This record gives sequence, C-alpha cells and structure tokens, in this order.
Amino acid sequence: MSETLFVVEDLTVTLPTSRGPVDVVKNASFTVDRDDTVGIVGESGSGKSMTSLAVLGLLPGGGRTTGSIRLNGQELLGRSEAELRSIRGNAISMVFQDPLSSLNPYYTVGLQIEEGYRAHRGGTRREARKVAIEALERVQIPDPARRIDHYPHQFSGGQRQRIMIAMALCCSPELLIADEPTTALDVTVQAQILALLAELQAETGTGLIFITHDLAVISSIAQRVLVMCKGDPVEYGTAEQIFSDPQHEYTRALLDAVPRIDDLIPAAEEVAG
Amino acid sequence: MTRYVIGRLGGVVVILLAVCLFTYLIFFKLSPDPAVMICGKTCTPDRIDSIRTVLGLNQPLLTQFWEFLQGIVAGRDYGTAHCSAPCLGYSFQTNESVWTMITARLPVSITVAVGAAILWLLAGVAGGLISAVRQGTWWDRSAMALALTGVSVPNYVLALVLQYLLVVKLQVLPFPSAPAFSDNPGLWFESYLMPWTVLAIGYACLYARLTRANVIDTLAENFVRTARAKGLQRSLILRRHALRPALTPITTIFGMDFAGLLGGALITETVFGLNGIGKLAADSIAKNDQPVIMAVTLLAAFFVVIGNVVVDLVYTALDPRVRITSA
Amino acid sequence: MSTTPTLLEVEEVGAAAGGPPTSTQRILTRLVHDKAAVLCLAFLLIVVLMAAFAPLITKLSGWGPYEFDSSAINSALGGVPNGSLGGISGEHWFGVEPQNGRDLFARIVYGARVSITIAISATVLTGILGVVLGMLAGFYRGWVDQLISRVMDFLMAFPALIFMIAILSSLPAGNRPVLLVVVISAFGWPYLARVIRGQTMTLANREFVEAARASGAKNLALVFREILPNLRSSIIVMSTLAVPGYIGTEAGLSFLGVGVTPPTASWGQMISSSVSWYSVDPMFFAIPGAFLFLTVLSLTVLGDKIRSVIDAGEAA
Repeated sequence: MSETLFVVEDLTVTLPTSRGPVDVVKNASFTVDRDDTVGIVGESGSGKSMTSLAVLGLLPGGGRTTGSIRLNGQELLGRSEAELRSIRGNAISMVFQDPLSSLNPYYTVGLQIEEGYRAHRGGTRREARKVAIEALERVQIPDPARRIDHYPHQFSGGQRQRIMIAMALCCSPELLIADEPTTALDVTVQAQILALLAELQAETGTGLIFITHDLAVISSIAQRVLVMCKGDPVEYGTAEQIFSDPQHEYTRALLDAVPRIDDLIPAAEEVAG
Repeated sequence: MTRYVIGRLGGVVVILLAVCLFTYLIFFKLSPDPAVMICGKTCTPDRIDSIRTVLGLNQPLLTQFWEFLQGIVAGRDYGTAHCSAPCLGYSFQTNESVWTMITARLPVSITVAVGAAILWLLAGVAGGLISAVRQGTWWDRSAMALALTGVSVPNYVLALVLQYLLVVKLQVLPFPSAPAFSDNPGLWFESYLMPWTVLAIGYACLYARLTRANVIDTLAENFVRTARAKGLQRSLILRRHALRPALTPITTIFGMDFAGLLGGALITETVFGLNGIGKLAADSIAKNDQPVIMAVTLLAAFFVVIGNVVVDLVYTALDPRVRITSA
Repeated sequence: MSTTPTLLEVEEVGAAAGGPPTSTQRILTRLVHDKAAVLCLAFLLIVVLMAAFAPLITKLSGWGPYEFDSSAINSALGGVPNGSLGGISGEHWFGVEPQNGRDLFARIVYGARVSITIAISATVLTGILGVVLGMLAGFYRGWVDQLISRVMDFLMAFPALIFMIAILSSLPAGNRPVLLVVVISAFGWPYLARVIRGQTMTLANREFVEAARASGAKNLALVFREILPNLRSSIIVMSTLAVPGYIGTEAGLSFLGVGVTPPTASWGQMISSSVSWYSVDPMFFAIPGAFLFLTVLSLTVLGDKIRSVIDAGEAA
C-alpha cells in the first residue's frame, strides 16, 4: 500500500485578463501516492498545465491561487518565494513539452544539468559534472562523458527530452510533473520516453503527474486519472473506472473521439468485396 | 573554418572593387575636369595638357581605373614623381598625398568613435537592462520616454544646442580643437567630451530600447521557465540565461554601427570642427577634390565590409547554433 | 555548413511571418484608445494639413514664403528682427527670418510640405523596391537571390551619407525633391528587402504555398496572393518606422546644404541658417527645430504603438 505523497484540494487558479479575472482552474482535487502515476487529461485550455504551474508557484504574473497543496503533509500554498525555490527542482521537478525551446541553446547540456544540482546540493564543478554524466547515463544517452559538452541543438528531439528528464531527476525529487512530455515527439520516440519514465519511477519511487491530451498515453501509464474541461475537474477516478465506465459525458466524448481499429473494418470489407 | 574566412575575405575584395569602380565612374561622369581644377586660376592650355598627361587623363576610363588599382597595391608613377603604395593620389586642392591626409585624420575619427561607443554601450545597455527587469515601473516608463525623445532629436540639433549652452553661454567647455592626447590631456578630454556625448546620446537611446525589448523577450522564453522550475536564484537566471541570448544580437548591431563610425561621423565632426575623416569628406566634397572623395568613400566602405565579416565571425563564436563545424 | 545569420541594422521587426495578419481595423481601434497615440496623430494631422494646404494657409496668414518684409527687420543692427521672440506679431505669427525678413510661419508651412512629400515618397518607393526585390529573392532563390543579395550587400556597404552628399552636390539643380527621393530610396530599400526576403523564404516553405501550387496556381500569382498578405505586418511596421528616419535624412541633407535648393523652404536648411543667429534670435533655431523634433517624435511613438499592437496580435 503506497503512502500519500502529494495532495491537491480545491485548487482554484485565477488569472487576470483584459476582460477581468478568469478562473482557469476551478476546485480541482487529486492525490498522488508514492510510486503512483496520476494522469491529468484535457484539451488545450482545460487548465491542466495551469494546475502544474500553480503547484510550483510558476504562474504568469498576477495569478492567484486558493485551496490547498500539500507535499508530505506540508502546505505549499502561501510559502515565500525563497522556500518555493528550494522545492523547485529539488523536492518537486518539472518536465515541459517542447525540449528544444525548453533548453537554453547557448549552454551545454552538462552545464544546464549541473547548475540545477549545484543550486540545491552545492558541491564543486567536478562533483556536479560527475552527477550530470551519471544522470545522462541513466536516461540512456550514449557516450555521456563526451556528449555532456554538447549543445541542445546537437541532439535529437527524443534525446533532448531525455536530457530534460535527467535534469529534473538529478536531485532525486519526490514528485515529478511531466507536462505533455511526449506531444512534440513522434510515436516511436514517445513509447521510448514512456518506458524510460516507467523504469525510472520503479527505480526511485517518485510520484508522477502526467499531463496530456492523449488518452491512449494515459491508459498505458496512469493509475488514477483526472479529466478536466475548461477549468472544471469533471471526473476523477482510477484508470480502470475511467476507461471502462466513464461517468461524465465529457469523458465519454473524449473516449469516443479516439480512433479505434475496429471502426475501419467495414470499409476494408467493402474494398475487398 | 579557414575556408569560410577566405571565402568571406574574397567577397570583401569583390565588394570593395565594385564600390571603387562605381565611385570612380560616378565621379568621372560628374566632376569637372581635374586638370583644370589643379591648374587653378592662372592657367595656360599647355599647362593643362601636361597635367593631363601626368595624371594619365587622356587614357580610356578603364585603363585609368586599372592604374588607380595598381597604385593602391604597388604604387605608381606620376610622370617623374613616384607615389608609393598604397597610392591614393594627390589632393587637387593642396597637392598633399591623400594617404598622408587620411592617416593624419584617422586617429581623430577613431577617438570619436571609441569614446562614444564606450559611453553608449554603458548607458544604453545598462539602461535597457534595468528597464527590462523593472518593466512597468516608473523608472522603466520614464527611461523609455527619455529614450524615445533621444532617438527623435537630430544629432546636429543636439550638437548645436549643447555647443551653445556649454561653450557660448555657460563657458564651461572650450571650442573643440582636438589636440593630441600626449600634448594636453585636459584639453584633449574637454574637446572630445561634447562630440562623444552628442553621438552617444542617439545610439544610447536606440540601444536602451533594443536591449529592453530583447531582455523582455528572452525572459518570456521557455528555457527561462525551465530555469525557474529548477529553483535557480533570480540573479543567476538573469545573468546566465537571459543576458547571453538577449545581448548576442546587440553585439551584431554594435559591430555594424561602430564600423560605420570609423569611416567618420560626418555631421558631428563638421558641427564641432574636428579634423577627422568625416570633416575631410565634407570639405573635399564641397571643393570637388576628387582623389580625396574617392579615398574617403573607399575607406568608409572598407570598414563597413570588414566590420560585416568580423561581426559574423563573432556571432558564430557567441551562438552555438551557427558554428561552422565540420562534424 | 551552417549559414551566417542575417544582420540587423535597424530595430528588428518583432512580428514573425505567418499567422493571420492583424487587421487595420484592429490597429486603428487600439490606437484611438491610447492617449499618447491620439496626441501624436493630432500633431501629425496638423503637419500634414499644413503640407497639403500650404498655399491656402499662407494666403490666410498674409505672407508667402518667398516675400521679403524689410520693415520687420532692423537693418541698422545687421538684420535682427524687430520686436521680441524673433519678431512674433499679429503680422508674422512665428516671426521673421533675420536678414531677409521672410515670414517664418509661411516657411515652416512650406517646409512641412517638403519634409512630408519627400519622406512619404521615399517610403513608398523604398516599400515597392524592397518588397518586390525581397520577395523575388526569397521566393525564387538560386541566381535571382544571389544577384539581388549581392546588390543589397553592395548598397549597404556604401557610405550612404558621403555618397548622397557627393552626388547631390555635383548634380545640377534640376528637380531637387525628385532627386532626393531617388537617392534616399536607392540606399534605403536593401534594409526592407532583407527582412522581406527572410520572411518570404520562411513562408515559401509553408504548407499553404504547397497547397496553392498543387491546385495549379502559377508562380507569380502564388507569390502575390498567398505570400504578400502575410508580409503585411512587417511592411507596415518597417514603413511607419522609415518615415521619421527619412524626414531626418532630408532635414540632415538640407542642413548640410545639399538638400532642396534655396529659396525653397526646408526645416533642415532653416536650422542651418539659424546657427549664426542663435545668440540674438534663438527663435529662428527653436521653431524649425521644435517642428522637426516633434514630427519625428510623433511618428516614432506612433510607429512603436503600431508595432506593439501587431506583436500582440500575432502572439495570440
């Protein structure tokens, strides 16, 4: 039985817009256990990314958050910027959607991993470099000792995402938030990244929040699923429940929208005949 | 890499040749007869003829141009006089060697350019950076309003106003006379202070706006979001992740602006009476002193084209994505 | 081998190519709500009206720009205008020029005409050359691009100011304004063309161009119908920022004495003449100087606002 790691209760995020303050997330609640994966599913604009940004206090200027966000029982909402900084990249890490634009093109990947490590653990450059090489190895980047001095544009899309993951895990976080990590990659690479995440999770026992619009991906990795629509959390349950017996009509619509191979068979029969 | 540099230098030569030819043609067509000009008031047809022969003016245009080019590379003979390389001819007005005239005045233009550049980089980039970091505050708003004003004042108006205020009215500074630094450092500094300031103000305002825009854009980039998500200190994010990407395009622009100034800040030098390349250009155009005009044009073009190459090389050093790799 | 990045000589156009172009409607509505923009537009309207209706206005004010009023100046004192502030009076609303007694108001009004017509004509000519040549270079690539790019490099290497002065001073008076427009545009179009070329190259690779080609559109039609609308934002931004630049250039050339020939009025030329008089008649310097400054300032502020509206629209 996994212990509860992370709890979000009644989270509401309000952003100022030219038309006045808008609630982009309304009373969302979910729980992540150690070793667990929670998937947050929804279309663009559903508020799923905002939820994760709110957790780390990374909302765009002027955003307000109410509710409760607790890591290991400790409340995160209302903490000072300095306290949040010590949590980011340390206890809670994040991986973003587009690895090319999410990595600074002017610096080597080694430096970008090392700086995260040294910000939280201190240490000399040499120590940090060793940690970075190990991190690259763990995410299966070939020849890590040499490639650590390469720049982001010298890697493929899939490799860049691995590097982002390495960066996120270098301080052994308890919770990893992955915001659409595979959306910008092609399907075969997607599968590799998902497998990698599963492996690392098994090794380290990190909790994972996986945000995506792709139901197929969620079905393969998440234990629990939160479905969001325009800021509202419309359904929350185990993956089994959601996929076999969806309660909300939006969830049903999402599931129906996934193309299935047996839809194609009647047409194939026509062609053959 | 060497192949690239050689290729670019080849391009430089081609463009300079084109500039040279084009300038030569235009002035050939437009200027009055140089022989008449050199000859002056008391002239006889015989004298004009002999001058024309010495200068080679009776030859076809392209031959003349070819001899001019040869002169630059290997020196040439005007009748019995030998003009050593690089030979840019002799002034129609003063008969001085044009090369000597240029080398005498180049230090003044370089001093103006370097001094102004230091001032405007410090003021402009620092100002823009602070504005960007404090976006929306009264500091930002007033700094940008000031920058807008500075960009809109024509520099000769500013020069005239400053000169009137500081030299004539308040008598705080003397009329600029540009002595050598070693002779009289105090006077040297006072002489250059106004030209530096006038030039620097225009550029500083431009660079402040540019820097601010670039830094703001960079801070909105995804990789800055990643840096924040890693829990890095704000000052580190600014220093490391924001500055490099924001300032790299500015070094490019600076290179080109500076190269342009090396060819002489014509208006500023004229207004302040400084004997630099710019003033030489203005004076020689007014007096139709062809060889000097040619030389000044070539020099200015040379700086710009070389500056182009230098800037591109510097950019490849700064931005890893455009490095010329064989890998 | 990597390519060398495009150099920026002017402030870079922030609007990226592609994405629906911001409508003129939208730009105008936003501007109308901005106090500073409204002030600038108002001032510019005054200047444009001055330029357009110069003869009518000077008929109203009483004095033309070329008439000498010797009663307004004190020849005994070397030509200093009578009265304070350079001779401002009911007769002469802005006072008179020292030495020749010409009505300053009339000369400012006619000077506006010179500045505005030259700047706008140069902007239009630069726009046409820059857009057409930039698009051709960016779309056809190959030798067309090589040729046009070399010409651009060549023109940008030229010390434009020196050259303009040299050409203008050696050519005979003829139609000065036309000559100024031609010379200014000849050196100005490469900067626009470079930006247009870059954006055309990006756009030409986009799918919608492929689609149009697949549906049988001929190349030229393709270029104009599909690509041009997407370049509109860049063109608008660069043009509105070019106008104040050209006003400054014309004034600078006139200041140096190679612009429009006297007795035609030009703000730059007036500033130049005012230099020897600024201790006794500072208004002769201040009035044209102020007009020049405020016109350039208004245009620059407006250009900035337009650019931020467009950027915001494209970022959405």
